[in-house]
Amino acid sequence: MTRFLVDRLLSLVPVLALVLVVIFSLARIIPGDPAVTLLGPGATEEQISALRVQLHLDQPVTQQFISYVSRLAHGDMGQSLKSGRPVFEEIMRRLPATLELSVLAMLMAIVVGIPIGVFSAIRANSWFDHVVRVISLVGVSTPAFLLALILQLIFGIYLGWLPISGQTSSFIFTERVTGFALIDSLIAKDPKALWDAFLHLLLPTTVLAAFLAATIGRFVRNAMLEVMEQDFIRTARAKGLSRYAVIFRHGLRNSLLAAITVIGLKFAEMLGGAILTETVFAWPGVGRYMFEAIKNRDYPVIQGATLVFAAMFVLTSLLVDLLYGRLDPRIRKKMQ
Amino acid sequence: MICRKNFIALFFASVFVAGPAYSQNDQNKTLVVAVSTDPVNLEPGTNKAEPIGSEIIFNVFDTLVSWKAPAFKDLEGRLAKSWTVSPDGKTFAFKLRPGVMFHDGTPLDAESVKFSIERTRDINPYMKSNFGLIESISVQGALDVKITLKEPMPVFLSLLAQPQAAVVSPTAVKKFGDKFNVNPVGTGPFMFKSYTPDTNVVLEANAGYFRGKPKLERILYRVIPDASTRRLEMEKGGIDISQQNAQLSSIPADELKAFKDNKDIEVIEVPSQIIRQLEFNNNIAENSPVKDVRVRKAITYAIDYDGLLKGVLGGTADRVYGPLTTNSWAFNPKMKTNAPKYDPALARKMLQEAGVKPGDLKFTLYSFQGSLWGAMATLIKSNLADVGIEVTIAQTEFPSYRALQTAGKFELALDGRQPWYNDPDAHITIGYLSTLADSAMTFRMPKDPVLDALILKAQTTVDFKKRKQLYFQVQEAIAKKVPGAYLFSPKLIVFKRANVKGLVVNSAPPLNEYWGVSKQ
Repeated sequence: MTRFLVDRLLSLVPVLALVLVVIFSLARIIPGDPAVTLLGPGATEEQISALRVQLHLDQPVTQQFISYVSRLAHGDMGQSLKSGRPVFEEIMRRLPATLELSVLAMLMAIVVGIPIGVFSAIRANSWFDHVVRVISLVGVSTPAFLLALILQLIFGIYLGWLPISGQTSSFIFTERVTGFALIDSLIAKDPKALWDAFLHLLLPTTVLAAFLAATIGRFVRNAMLEVMEQDFIRTARAKGLSRYAVIFRHGLRNSLLAAITVIGLKFAEMLGGAILTETVFAWPGVGRYMFEAIKNRDYPVIQGATLVFAAMFVLTSLLVDLLYGRLDPRIRKKMQ
Repeated sequence: MICRKNFIALFFASVFVAGPAYSQNDQNKTLVVAVSTDPVNLEPGTNKAEPIGSEIIFNVFDTLVSWKAPAFKDLEGRLAKSWTVSPDGKTFAFKLRPGVMFHDGTPLDAESVKFSIERTRDINPYMKSNFGLIESISVQGALDVKITLKEPMPVFLSLLAQPQAAVVSPTAVKKFGDKFNVNPVGTGPFMFKSYTPDTNVVLEANAGYFRGKPKLERILYRVIPDASTRRLEMEKGGIDISQQNAQLSSIPADELKAFKDNKDIEVIEVPSQIIRQLEFNNNIAENSPVKDVRVRKAITYAIDYDGLLKGVLGGTADRVYGPLTTNSWAFNPKMKTNAPKYDPALARKMLQEAGVKPGDLKFTLYSFQGSLWGAMATLIKSNLADVGIEVTIAQTEFPSYRALQTAGKFELALDGRQPWYNDPDAHITIGYLSTLADSAMTFRMPKDPVLDALILKAQTTVDFKKRKQLYFQVQEAIAKKVPGAYLFSPKLIVFKRANVKGLVVNSAPPLNEYWGVSKQ
């Protein structure tokens, strides 16, 4: 087991190195340089050259790469070309907001998606199953920003129940401790702030969860249908187990194995930030930050954020594999 | 680890603990302004004419002089009580207002003015050429400062009215060093309170402001990147002001229509000095039809200007007739009388006289991205098709577009300029001086020592009336060459809740001042 863990963790190094080389070159291949984007259409060559020198963009690319890697070895991801602040700090500052959204969306998607998948499988080809399949098709196909806008209109404007942007209200100040709005309001013992943070989370979480719940539902349904055909299910029924026990203890548990991989990978993807959702809801997460960085050609941020996302993806898939191993004795044996 | 029982108990106990939140009264004294992205820099030394940071600077700092609202045609002293200009136009002597304090309690004096300007000149690449005109700054007394230029430059006073020329507290700069950029300290009506990246900037009223305490207690800039979300927040009352940043590439006509029937929202429309044009590559290397002035002239007569202003832009812009907007003090009325009118028949005749047959000419029309530019390009494409010219539209991402322009790799392009200071020099020199043709997005004028000399003379002539006359001549000389078809000047459009009063909207640069604002 330890060998397995060490191997996987060591594999991070070549993966991240490759990612770095690719993103370093890609960012610079895209036409347009940061000094131009930062200064805008009215700038003269003189102003742009002066800024390029200030940002060390006048150095040859290989030299820029070498200085970047040597600084990276000391744990320094450089400074944002736009704000001048340390990249790592900026990313870590925004990561909690994305995590809060991703975790809650994942939970919502699981709570909604799995039961629906199970019932669809049990009642395969019934009207319930057909309705659900249509709704989940719509959920998967609707662009996030369209769903976001519809929810904003209905719940924010027409009904007026929910706020439509931001992580918290402009008029409620909570001291930032962790960056998670819910946790910080708990730490501050402020029920108004907690309720406020919760309300702000509802709409963006729903938008993210919609796509995910639909995907999970379809996956679980198909996995369940397959599993329920297996011999051991027939055996369980023959043994006289209750319907509940057959479906959940035997059917679902085995289908979930496959679902976990999907859920895990989707979660790892979400950690890269749901750009459209974060933009529409003015959510201060990493997805939006990365998008702005690409628009501004903010090389250090693009590089740093990509490395962080790659590392999180590798670690998350490692966790998924470990979890899979815990749940499936066959895999556990292989790991040892 | 909080176990369930404890958590529930804690929750109910905490219901009785009040948290930090704003009362309704506080909310009435707070102005919420929506912006589309984070400000880049919050102080004059590092801000490179980025609009959101510049507006914050305008409200947290003061400049020596500024333009008098609402006409913005005359300069008035802000930190300067009075000033004199030497007859040779090179020396500006300012007498500062006594008793003005920075937010950190230190006094404003001639030393701090000298410190600010020299610092900005040294560290801000955007201001290097502006302040590079300065030969020396000398402190003549506690409140007397003299700035001497290398050459006479009457535009210098307008340059001093830019946010990037504002005066900073030397004490705070020494205290915060690199972090002064996120801890700006000036003399302005509002003091910087906090900046939460991707979320908001909070400013608080400066009770000791020398022009009088602001009516508001707080300004909150909310970062909301999505335009439709900003609009919904405006309707919901979540924000008080939303600025249609004229550099944005979308058409506000939809929002105007949507808000027209909403009695809670008012629209302020202010003429700007922004110009949008269809320009020709005026010093194109290869043989090209645009080299022929008859072809260029014909194209300018083929464009449906009214259709553009009313149909496409929905009345949110004014017509531009030449190199300067009609609201510029140097605008030559002859530009209007001699401007081309929409006349496809005449255009076809002109093309025929130039030896061009319908279908002969095929151009690629390059432009910025965005729905506004796309709509402009589509109209022009159809107008030119009517006179037998085929156009392919190529909207290009900004950095690539700029590279194309400065390399001269185009024949027709849609372009524009938003002047950052209030002087004809902002449009004319960089736009039309042939020696600067490749240095930026310009009209790429061919080498012309006569026109160049005229432009430089207008730039450096001290006498106001003579300068105005020279700019009249410059405009006529440029118009003769038909470097482009001048299309329109978009109005600055600000959406605000009806209960917000006293807003001042500057035209160049297009920024708001909140000192006199109150919410009823």
